Amino acid sequence: MISAKPQLRGASPPITRAKQSARSQRRQRTFYLFISPWLLGFIFLSVIPMVVGFLISLTNYDGLNLNKLAFVGMRNYGTVFKDPSAQYGFSRTLIWAAINLPLWLAVSLLIALLVNVKLKGNGIFRTLLYLPAVIPPVALVWTWKILLEQNFGLVNGVLSLVRPGTAVPWLSTYAMLGLTSIALWNGLGFGMIVFLAGLQDIPQELIDAARVDGAGNFQVFFRVILPLISPIIFFQLILGLISALQQFVLPMLAATSASTKIPARSVYLYMVHVYRTLFGTGRFGQGMAMLWLLIVVIGVLTVIVFWTQRFWVYSEVRGEE
Amino acid sequence: MEAQLQVRQPTSHRSTRRMREKILLYILMVVVVFLVCVPIIWLLITSLKKDVEYLSYPIKFLPAVPQWSNYTNVFDPRYDFLKHAGISAGLALGSSILTVISSSLAGFAFARFPEVKARDKLFAIVASMIIIPQIVTVIPQFIIFSRLHLTGTYWPWVIWGIAGSPILIFLFRQFFIRFPRELEDAAEIDGCSTFEIFWRIFLPNAKPVIATAFILNFVAVWGDWFAPLIYLNSENTTLSVVISTAYVNPQGQPLTTLTLAAVVLYILPMVVIFFFGQRYIMQGTLTSGLTGR
Repeated sequence: MISAKPQLRGASPPITRAKQSARSQRRQRTFYLFISPWLLGFIFLSVIPMVVGFLISLTNYDGLNLNKLAFVGMRNYGTVFKDPSAQYGFSRTLIWAAINLPLWLAVSLLIALLVNVKLKGNGIFRTLLYLPAVIPPVALVWTWKILLEQNFGLVNGVLSLVRPGTAVPWLSTYAMLGLTSIALWNGLGFGMIVFLAGLQDIPQELIDAARVDGAGNFQVFFRVILPLISPIIFFQLILGLISALQQFVLPMLAATSASTKIPARSVYLYMVHVYRTLFGTGRFGQGMAMLWLLIVVIGVLTVIVFWTQRFWVYSEVRGEE
Repeated sequence: MEAQLQVRQPTSHRSTRRMREKILLYILMVVVVFLVCVPIIWLLITSLKKDVEYLSYPIKFLPAVPQWSNYTNVFDPRYDFLKHAGISAGLALGSSILTVISSSLAGFAFARFPEVKARDKLFAIVASMIIIPQIVTVIPQFIIFSRLHLTGTYWPWVIWGIAGSPILIFLFRQFFIRFPRELEDAAEIDGCSTFEIFWRIFLPNAKPVIATAFILNFVAVWGDWFAPLIYLNSENTTLSVVISTAYVNPQGQPLTTLTLAAVVLYILPMVVIFFFGQRYIMQGTLTSGLTGR
């Protein structure tokens, strides 16, 4: 294993200038050769589709009408603001994010704190706690369907032991709660290992020093640990926000009513509406406009979170060790 | 692994109070782990029930007789389980190999070519592609692929694989940038080409990142439901799409517990991969560089 330490870069061995420039040209070519698979992919799979997508959002394209394609300007964007379903979906998405993110951060952090304590068999506990994170979405939904099913699910079954006849509709009326449990369960493995990495980076001397100064467990947590892992919380918050606003797989797979084929009203998220606009009614122009607006919202919210960083994210300029 | 994961603890004598604290922590830990594992346990139990037992009210917690036949029936030729599992595995394996190669090449280039002027700007693009949501490209990509008559085929997975993944490029770059410069120089003096330096020196020393990248991509492709749903047809689709709805008997009634057995078999490879790969993931390959070090 090669030792991993930072190195000064850019100091090439002394050679004559002519040789140097031939070498640098060759290196230049090699660089572009090496990144060419990614670069070509970036151009053909990201740049061009984004341009195409934006152009589509300005048309009445419905997947079939290429011969009658009409340029409609920003009309699709205007329609989104007049579409009550889009507005409703957007408000549900904000609620979804507002419930999910804090819950996920808090539970992941608590579990990370727990498994960070030196105990025998900790490795096994960590592995078991990470297990839900490796379950793919489709299996995840099956796993929870049999827990949350209204009549035959385990949760209502156990509740019925205490209060016979309990039949909470976890996947329709209370789908916001039901799906939150699913997302939380699935996400805590990743949250845990990221927080764990942060916790293990905290120098023990700092905690010891705080204790010597008479700090109790709570003070150590709020005054030492929390500020030191705030960059991690920040990182998780950004990633979590971006993915929460795009959530649609869970409502589509877990909360779709068998009769209407529409996800339950409480989890009719924005992306669900986009999906139905695109694939249900084939209004690609409209759907692409909705997607672009979502991207703008995600961008704005991300910038806002970045801006709040200065108030709560602890930073120090760390020297290289 | 154990040694690396443990936290430095001040050496202190064990008082009874510490002992009691430890026992309480153990109990708490066992309770938490049990609660987290309940869904998996319940999935396993239910997959061994008869359909009538699953549909009984009030709830029956355990099957009268474990129905191991659910697991053998999954392989009934009617369901083509192995065919679809094979397609999932093939796509995941192929695209992971391609992605690891192209991402490591790009990561190497971004780490070891500081003299190339456009490098930092290009890398900024890579980094921003990690954060920029890809949903806006999904639909146009689909339209483009279908214009090229590539929907219904596996070519999109090959192309996605070759293009690599920004997050994996980032991981490789972070790893390769820490290699000492002398290593490269010595190899160059010995007459190694840049590709040989990459292939024979850097790549063999990047096993933790290769494993992490491979696992991340394999798990993502195996579990992906949306891309195969829109790109493939019912004949050549992946297991994810097949088991997203319940298997049905010839009368068209859903066979829930049989499907759950299929779900367990569908999860199993992920668990196996995770057990073999966890030391790399837990080692912090994924999370390195997060705190700015």
